[in-house]
Amino acid sequence: MPDLRLQGLTKRFGSVLAVSDLSFTVGPGVVTGFLGPNGAGKTTTLRMLLGLVSPDSGTALLNGVPYRDLPNQTRAVGAVLEASGFHPGRSARKHLLAIATASGIDRTRVDEVLAMVGLSEVANARVGGYSMGMRQRLELARAVLGDPEILILDEPANGLDPQGIAWIRQFLRSFASLGRVVLVSSHLLAEAAQTVDEVVILARGHLVGKGRLSEMLDRQAATVRIRTPEHEQARLLAALRDAGFAPGCVNMNDATTVTVQGASPEAVAPVITANGILVYEMTSGGGSLEGLFFEMTEGAGLGDMVPGYSPGAVPGYVRGGER
Amino acid sequence: MSRLVRAELVKLRTVWSTWVILIIAVAFTLPGGLLVGFAPHNNGIRHLIFPTEGTRAWFDLVLSTMDVVLDLALILGILMVTGEYRHKTVTPTFLYEPRRGRVAAAKLFAAAGAAVAVAVAGGVAGLLLGFGLVASGHGNIAEMLGAFGHVFPGVLFATVLFGVYGLGLGAIMKNQVAALVTGLGASAVIEPLVASTVPAVGRWLPGEAAQALESVTAHAIKGGHGGGFLTGITGLKLVTWWEGALALLIYGLVFVIAGSLTTLRSDVT
Repeated sequence: MPDLRLQGLTKRFGSVLAVSDLSFTVGPGVVTGFLGPNGAGKTTTLRMLLGLVSPDSGTALLNGVPYRDLPNQTRAVGAVLEASGFHPGRSARKHLLAIATASGIDRTRVDEVLAMVGLSEVANARVGGYSMGMRQRLELARAVLGDPEILILDEPANGLDPQGIAWIRQFLRSFASLGRVVLVSSHLLAEAAQTVDEVVILARGHLVGKGRLSEMLDRQAATVRIRTPEHEQARLLAALRDAGFAPGCVNMNDATTVTVQGASPEAVAPVITANGILVYEMTSGGGSLEGLFFEMTEGAGLGDMVPGYSPGAVPGYVRGGER
Repeated sequence: MSRLVRAELVKLRTVWSTWVILIIAVAFTLPGGLLVGFAPHNNGIRHLIFPTEGTRAWFDLVLSTMDVVLDLALILGILMVTGEYRHKTVTPTFLYEPRRGRVAAAKLFAAAGAAVAVAVAGGVAGLLLGFGLVASGHGNIAEMLGAFGHVFPGVLFATVLFGVYGLGLGAIMKNQVAALVTGLGASAVIEPLVASTVPAVGRWLPGEAAQALESVTAHAIKGGHGGGFLTGITGLKLVTWWEGALALLIYGLVFVIAGSLTTLRSDVT
């Protein structure tokens, strides 16, 4: 059975810790989403899996061996990375032909994969004239050239139109249903929610969540979130603890959001009124991947993902000259 | 390994730059030879060093314009590595073969093969030019073929080594513009400068080593007084042909190996 195993993977670029002690495994038969905000370390992790970036420590094994020790990389693993990596003057067919030649793959497979991704008619045209979506499809064709058991995709929906995105979703499902491994990174949560069965959530190089998406969403749906002014935070937390809950806490801007997992608003509201605590807002349910994502990434104190990159605290445009 | 070499050859023949280089090899040699062969006769320096029209030495000079293929092979070698980084095709390349030293080795063989093709293109152009000159009454066919027999083997050999040298430059520098400027700048500006000021060092530089190699056969025939047309002017005493060949081979291999151990090993992000 094909699988991916990451163990203690760590990579530092200068002073930036891109990936920190990351361990997880990915099994066959399901589509596993690799989620995280921009700069979370997703691409670096995938490139370490593929031997393009060497980790500072830790191992990444595919079917039990490092990428470079696979007997035939193209036949074992397919990778969709950024949609560049084409010579603009070379045709799609010749691009794939070079790789097929290097990997000992029959050239009839080239036309087969081009047909699979719908590029047959433009196969002899220079890639320089391709749209972003066509390049993304060509990248996918390259990935499956060796009929691999493992497919690793970095933001494959980038540059695709809605039809293209729906198409790739079907493609990944049918690939996984053959008992193969699919690991697909994305920062587009709405899209990922429709595509993936399992999720691995990464924030600032750390693993912050992993599991079956449906179970994680159920858990998240049974969470009450209470927004309260900062000076009420301590009292609210104490009151909830006294009532037998195990509250968590997320600070954002000038307000605090206290979360209570496995509780209902009906159970929490009396605690608040009995103690006369000021509350701005109380919500529950949702069960959205987006909600889950924010809770996991911000709850881990990892709200700003990239050091030195912090968007304005309150989203909004600032005109030139304004103070 | 043979699959990797064949893949490199597929890459080469599927981009226009390779074909442009082959066309230039032909297009430059033809008029270049005519220009050298029929330069104005009332040039003072010309009478001192210029051989009589139609002689073997004259054909040597005319046909030696085919040595433009050296620089063309250098460019081709540079493009074979730097093109991969420029267009990021290095990512799919290292995906199908993550052992980067093997990729470098495959490129080395392919660069040598491609350099042979470039040299042959220049050689064919030289022959066409030679037959044209003979047909139009400038010398006889034996002198022409004799001269071709002097010039071409050295050019062929030097071109192959220049292709490998270019590959090595590309492997070390990775940046296309920097490698081209360095490679061509060295042969056009820096090397002649060093050769004229510090000849002891200069004669071991790639361009001068190649000249020694190119004049190999002519050298033997002329009884060892050797040297090309230009060195006749600069007075640089060249190394022997085999020393030149060895020097070039070392430049190429050292650069390719150094590149595979440093630049090519770095992360592809």
